[in-house]
Amino acid sequence: MKKVIVHEQGLGEKVVRHARAIGVSMKESVYPLTATVFYPRERKKMPPNLRGYLMFEIEKCISCWECAFICPANAIQMKEAPNRRYYPTVDYGKCIFCHFCVDSCSSGALYSTKIHDVAYRDMDEMLTLTEEMIEQPEIIREDKRSVEYVIERDDMHLKRRREQDTLFVEPTPPVEIPMVSQCIDRASCIGCRVCEQVCEHGAISSIMDTARNVLRMKIDTERCTGCGLCVKECSMQILRLVRKTR
Amino acid sequence: MEEVINALMAAIMSNQVNIPLLQPLFRLMVQIPGAGFMVSFILWKPFFAALISPGFATLGILLLFFPWVERKLCGRIQWRVGPHEIVWWLGGIIQLLADSLRFLFQEVIVHKDAQRPYFLQFPFLTFIPTLLPLLFIPAGSIVAIQTPYAIQIILALVCLFPLFIIGLGWASNSRFAFIGTVREAFMYFAYEVAFIVAVLAMVILYGTSDLVEIGAHQAGWVWGICINPVAAVVFFIGAAMATARLPFEIADAEQELAAGPHVEYSGIGFGLIYVICYEKAYILSGLMTVLFLGGGSGPQIGVLGELSGLIWFLLKTFIVMVTLFVLRVLYPRYRLDQALNIGWSSLLSLSLFALALSIAITAVAGAGAVAGAVGGGIV
Repeated sequence: MKKVIVHEQGLGEKVVRHARAIGVSMKESVYPLTATVFYPRERKKMPPNLRGYLMFEIEKCISCWECAFICPANAIQMKEAPNRRYYPTVDYGKCIFCHFCVDSCSSGALYSTKIHDVAYRDMDEMLTLTEEMIEQPEIIREDKRSVEYVIERDDMHLKRRREQDTLFVEPTPPVEIPMVSQCIDRASCIGCRVCEQVCEHGAISSIMDTARNVLRMKIDTERCTGCGLCVKECSMQILRLVRKTR
Repeated sequence: MEEVINALMAAIMSNQVNIPLLQPLFRLMVQIPGAGFMVSFILWKPFFAALISPGFATLGILLLFFPWVERKLCGRIQWRVGPHEIVWWLGGIIQLLADSLRFLFQEVIVHKDAQRPYFLQFPFLTFIPTLLPLLFIPAGSIVAIQTPYAIQIILALVCLFPLFIIGLGWASNSRFAFIGTVREAFMYFAYEVAFIVAVLAMVILYGTSDLVEIGAHQAGWVWGICINPVAAVVFFIGAAMATARLPFEIADAEQELAAGPHVEYSGIGFGLIYVICYEKAYILSGLMTVLFLGGGSGPQIGVLGELSGLIWFLLKTFIVMVTLFVLRVLYPRYRLDQALNIGWSSLLSLSLFALALSIAITAVAGAGAVAGAVGGGIV
């Protein structure tokens, strides 16, 4: 059996320790390191890369479904819009704010804001539709000051400024890795022309080979943006995205 | 009939609180038929001491604001904020007013197993030992009842505190209250002997138990704490145990026993018990101020007359109270056996040492020597 040995303190050491405790309490009563933020009246200044409420730019979206595929909480569902395109909807009842969707979005259509205090009346309202994600949400701002945590001399202090923190950040453009679509097995192509129809940039064109009476697809590498729509839509799964070589 | 009234008036007028600053105003008031009698009655020393200051009115104001001071201060030390939301631009200063209103309008629940008459009576009866000592505690020269047995009476009443707490627990007839009551009885044994011996040491030192005289003996800067600091330490720890606040909050250990003896109380009953702790602290701090910290002695402010002693007394009492209550953020709670161990070993031996010290000082400085002479001889 092991016995925990208690460090025996002499009288002098005890007195010193008690005096130190009293000294600390007196110091704290005069100049406390309280870190409380009085939330509705003041707001903590959040970093610009905070993973908060999601916003969506519909013009940039290429309906690639990457956000819905990568979502670990299955919060993003694609809904069909009147223009026959599919756009994401976010269920905040499921969302874990991992922002894999923002990272995976190749065109930068999804981006984050600094809003972290979202309230809903019921569960149905938590399913945020695409049109709600386009517009900035309604925010009631009661805060007059912004608070920042500053570490000085190994102690954390609050720095209060008489200003309102902006909650919306400019979306940073995604880091583009130039990719290009490439057919890896031309012999298997059935000439369905789905890739041609789906391409937004007109990079894929079809040429009728009258000699052999088959349709040949041609990918214009200059026009191709590497969005991967054709890769996803190809029924024979013979298209791949490869790194563009210059 | 007229002679009786005149004799009464003469008795009242001969024992007035002397305030030079307000004297012209009083002279003006005396000329108005009714107001003159009222003013002189209010300024009659026993009435002033018992009902205004250091008595009832001061206690009431203290009870309204002291818990706020305590909570705010403890909050600051623990990096919290403390009461804040009620008038937040003043830092929640009327928190206790809001709390007392809530207590007042809450339903008083008497549960089935409780001893109904005692259950309802004891919160009020507990006020007897906590309010009566106020009559004997002098603030400078302002005192309600001056008697050579003041310390004995105050100690007797202070020793009655636990009895009423035990009564509360017994009338509650609940297991938590029962355990809390037994702990309260144990704690009573832990501090009582050492506490009384420490007071006894000071009585021997001063040669009198009249608190007004004791205060007068310390009129210089030679306070009781300078002559016998050991007794002061024992008295302070004893007071901390008697008020049952955090380092010795063993009887109403909130984490284990909900609230100990007061667990079954709700509404105004709980409110009364809640403030009793602060009253105890006020009385024991006042006694400590008079015995060890010179009572109302301090630089005299001429225009305030006798009020200057009162102000010094209240200031010192307040500081002692704050020190007593800030202990709760510094130390964790003792176990019951540890507290009993402290009470019966170190505290008792310290108090006996303090007694021996007092006897030695008195013997050296001459039998029955008063503190002033002792202070002159030693310091």
